[in-house]
Amino acid sequence: MNGWLHQLIRTRHGVLGLIILAPVALAVVLGPQLAPNDPNAISFLARFSSPSFHHWLGTDEFGRDLLSRILVGARESVGTALSATLLGTLSGAILGTASAYVGGRADEAIMRTIDAIMAIPALLLALLVLSTLGKGATDATLAIAISFAPGMARITRSVALAARHQDYVSAAIARGEGSGWIVFREMGPNVIAPVVVESTIRVAFAVMLVASLSFLGLGAQPPAPEWGLMIAEGREYLDQAPWMIIAPGAAIALTAIGFNLLGDGLRDALNPRVGR
Amino acid sequence: MSPVLSIENYRLEYRSSGTAFRALDDVSLTIGPGEVLGLVGESGSGKSSLAAAIMRLLPPNSREGGGTIRFQGEDLRAMGPRQLRSVRGRRIAMVFQDPSSALNPTLTLGRQVSEVLETHRGLTPPEARAEALAMLRHVEIKDPEALFARYPHEASGGEKQRVVIAAAFACHPELVLLDEPTTALDVLTGARILELVRRLRAQIGMAGLYISHDLALVSRVADRIAVIRGGRIVEEQPAATIFRNPRHPYTRLLAEAAPRPDRRLTTDEAGAEPLLGLDSLSVRYDRRGVFRRRAATGAENVSFTIREREVLGVIGESGSGKSSLARALAGLVRFEGTIRFTGRSVKGPGAMDRAYRRAVQIVFQSPDSSLNPRQRVREILARPLKMFGGNVAEIPRLLDEVRLAPNYAARYPHELSGGEKQRVAIARAFAARPRLVICDEITAALDVSMQASVIELLLALRAAHDTAYLFITHDLNLIAEVAHRVAVMYRGRLVDLLPVAQLREGDVHPYTGALIAASPLPVTA
Amino acid sequence: MSAGWFARRVLLIGYTLLVVSLVVFAVTEILPADAAVVILGQNATPAALAAVRARLGLNDPAWLQYWHWLWPALHGNFGISMRTDQPVGPEMFAALGRSLLLAAGAIFLMLVVAIPLGLAAALGRGRSIDLLAGLISYLGVSLPEFVTATLLLMIFADRLGWLPATGYVPLTQNPLAGLSHLALPALTVALVLIAHVSRMLRSEMIDVLASEYVRAARLKGLPWRIVIFRHALRNALLPVITVVALDVGYVLGGIIVVEEIFAIPGIGRALIVAIEARDLPAIQAAAVIMAATYAGVNFLADIAYALLDKRIRYE
Repeated sequence: MNGWLHQLIRTRHGVLGLIILAPVALAVVLGPQLAPNDPNAISFLARFSSPSFHHWLGTDEFGRDLLSRILVGARESVGTALSATLLGTLSGAILGTASAYVGGRADEAIMRTIDAIMAIPALLLALLVLSTLGKGATDATLAIAISFAPGMARITRSVALAARHQDYVSAAIARGEGSGWIVFREMGPNVIAPVVVESTIRVAFAVMLVASLSFLGLGAQPPAPEWGLMIAEGREYLDQAPWMIIAPGAAIALTAIGFNLLGDGLRDALNPRVGR
Repeated sequence: MSPVLSIENYRLEYRSSGTAFRALDDVSLTIGPGEVLGLVGESGSGKSSLAAAIMRLLPPNSREGGGTIRFQGEDLRAMGPRQLRSVRGRRIAMVFQDPSSALNPTLTLGRQVSEVLETHRGLTPPEARAEALAMLRHVEIKDPEALFARYPHEASGGEKQRVVIAAAFACHPELVLLDEPTTALDVLTGARILELVRRLRAQIGMAGLYISHDLALVSRVADRIAVIRGGRIVEEQPAATIFRNPRHPYTRLLAEAAPRPDRRLTTDEAGAEPLLGLDSLSVRYDRRGVFRRRAATGAENVSFTIREREVLGVIGESGSGKSSLARALAGLVRFEGTIRFTGRSVKGPGAMDRAYRRAVQIVFQSPDSSLNPRQRVREILARPLKMFGGNVAEIPRLLDEVRLAPNYAARYPHELSGGEKQRVAIARAFAARPRLVICDEITAALDVSMQASVIELLLALRAAHDTAYLFITHDLNLIAEVAHRVAVMYRGRLVDLLPVAQLREGDVHPYTGALIAASPLPVTA
Repeated sequence: MSAGWFARRVLLIGYTLLVVSLVVFAVTEILPADAAVVILGQNATPAALAAVRARLGLNDPAWLQYWHWLWPALHGNFGISMRTDQPVGPEMFAALGRSLLLAAGAIFLMLVVAIPLGLAAALGRGRSIDLLAGLISYLGVSLPEFVTATLLLMIFADRLGWLPATGYVPLTQNPLAGLSHLALPALTVALVLIAHVSRMLRSEMIDVLASEYVRAARLKGLPWRIVIFRHALRNALLPVITVVALDVGYVLGGIIVVEEIFAIPGIGRALIVAIEARDLPAIQAAAVIMAATYAGVNFLADIAYALLDKRIRYE
């Protein structure tokens, strides 16, 4: 795995992804410090300002600075997506590995059940969970994590099973290695890479899901500067202030493109068979 | 008479990310009417590139560096797409290595023959169908009507290759390129396909280019042989004399490397003491699930004993149970029956203790999946050393024993060639100081010269460590060179177990007899 | 297709529906400590809560509650809506019909665009058409439906005025108006699909074009169109069928958002309305019907795949 970052910056997709995600990461970490204005400062004089020197991305119906809102909102929009993906990946990976490891009928039963649960579309499952948990960012995180877990379990299992049938694992079994060594030292490093790639691409999907839930009024609540919520609010002023939609829409799209590109780049970089 | 094909000073390069690789260098060849030229070379020698160049189907990153390719006096390189289509499949046809991948999985076998007739001879579909059926009959398909409507996955490997041959010969081509047409088939099927090719050649009298890695095989079908290495033709001479009188050092190496039953590489006798025995060992694969239930047998009631320092050859085609046997002995699958080892009875993988697992080691067929791609050679070798009372300081010695330089310890598997990977796998087995090493087709994925050096290495290790081998292969000539006794597996059962010397003395199972007949000696006379 | 294979598929879809109904029921009624609070909110009076509990049978054990819900549901009876006091089932099935019309439109648009696009990208690999297809696919998978929908509305309805902004007109009433109302929503949903399917077809097609049997077909001297359409495209499209079926999941998710934006009275909008009104029977009905539709589509896709790809029957 040494030098995978080095490998990553040698793939065209990876570099492009990193370049796009760098400002996003900056906004997530330092958003409130970087914001030129208070994201919730209302100014009736500055309502519906088009992008200008004072307001680079314009203002909304309360005169709030959109650039500041996007910078501050990054933590909620992207942070929620990241933590939801991480949670969903971890729980899915544990379930998938366990299922592959026990094998036999238990494995078959677990997988058929996971297939069945996957018949519920991610957004629908997230909406269902939210409809009982209540509205808010934490609940959205949980809802998205739950809707991601079955898919990640399936992927982890198939990768683990593929690794399980490699001769180097057979060699380890033949020399009498314990299951700890086999799972963590022989299979683990070969399973992690594809799972990391898949979950990176899923962050893009999570970013869109978080925004969609807020847009539907079930995620972040006003006046939070969440990107999806900003678009929902801007929809009423489509005619007079299209920048209210274009700015957060572009933020969502760029972040999602960035994670998609990064995932594709990682796929190439983490492939051990490609020349180093 | 003017030649059917003449290639002069042909050069070809592949470019990728700035670097150029010369695939063919100043190649000149001619094939006369009715003549079959054998082109022998190992992987990467350029023999497939030459076929691609003749068929004018080169990859996009290739650059031709001059030279001519003339077919019946016409310049193939100057032909446009339209002219080429009228040559391909009608005047020059090709038979491929693996019929399973050369046939379209979603079209019926018959359709894949008749479409050639429709395209090139302008036949209507019913006419083409009748003609294709006749052609299938001609390549000795038993029930052409039934096979015509079947899909590739519903036919055997031999049937599929016959269909490919029928499509190639359907328009009575003037030249046929045969690219390793028997390599992907099992031994008996391959022998029958070879017989068919010979017969068709005698009937049609076309010219041929027979491409193969196997000098012994080509010497039996070709009139003349050209040996290619690193994109250059290094030697050309009549097939009848090349084995007896190889002039170029590389040809000599290939001739030496070809397994020959009349030559013994193992010169000493096996020990007298039994090392490991099987008592009616059976392996059954159960594929049970909530929604499916299926059981298949890998090996049925196999009993034999391996003696100290013995090389016991196991032969059989794929699915004969020989690999199931290996996996049972290595404790990788559950089995019924008993393994006797140093006076103890082992009844299952759970009963194999550290002493057993140390003493019995296995080396696998595929070099690519045999080593963990995320571990360096050092880590791969250190583990068995630590487990079985060795010392990490022995790594350089281990590498030296398998003839790899000490700096290989720091490499990852993807930085090694196939032969080097197999050497590391052998070193990993010997790190445990085993008494029996199971070699499961370990040279099947390697080139002939590489195979010879791995075999030589194995025998040297045996001499140094008094190891016994269970040597599994599909190559009877190879077994005859190295083994003391041979066990013949057929459909999960052990049908013959006899000293190698008695192989050609007659009294064998019919399957063994067929194998012997299908493994002919190279033309040395 | 053997009988055993078919029987297994039928068993599997039965199991899928069972699990889906369990999950939906568990998430909506068992997971929250008190479904009555979910319905009435935190400030409800104890008497009102008790009344709801009695009406929903919340005092029964969980399995009995599940059974009381499942058995009528199997007969299309999902209970009485708490919002409208009407039976939920018929309303939901009518909404599903309108959603399926939208989904069909989206899938039609996708097929018309994605197959030629993926094919062209694979054949012109590395050229400008390929780059264009790559750009479209990255944009398509990175733009949420509500952003595309809003942008499309802004351009085609507000600025250009070519198409109506929102609303739904039944096709039986006025086919032209019905179609024009469906155009923007269907296009929105189709964009994601186009991105995904064209990318998938491109990579399948590139693999197939590099395969030995396509090489063999070219070396037989067959005409270009036969090589591309009979030998290559046919095989490249097979895995795409499965992907399209799996994408119906995305379509259903996308439909929730798109129906909300374009005010189409489909099942997605019904679900959102039900969630906002805390209308438990309606939420359950919408969720189960959507998931069952998805499972059914995948079942049909499996069968279509098996009919087209002869290899599958022995697996």
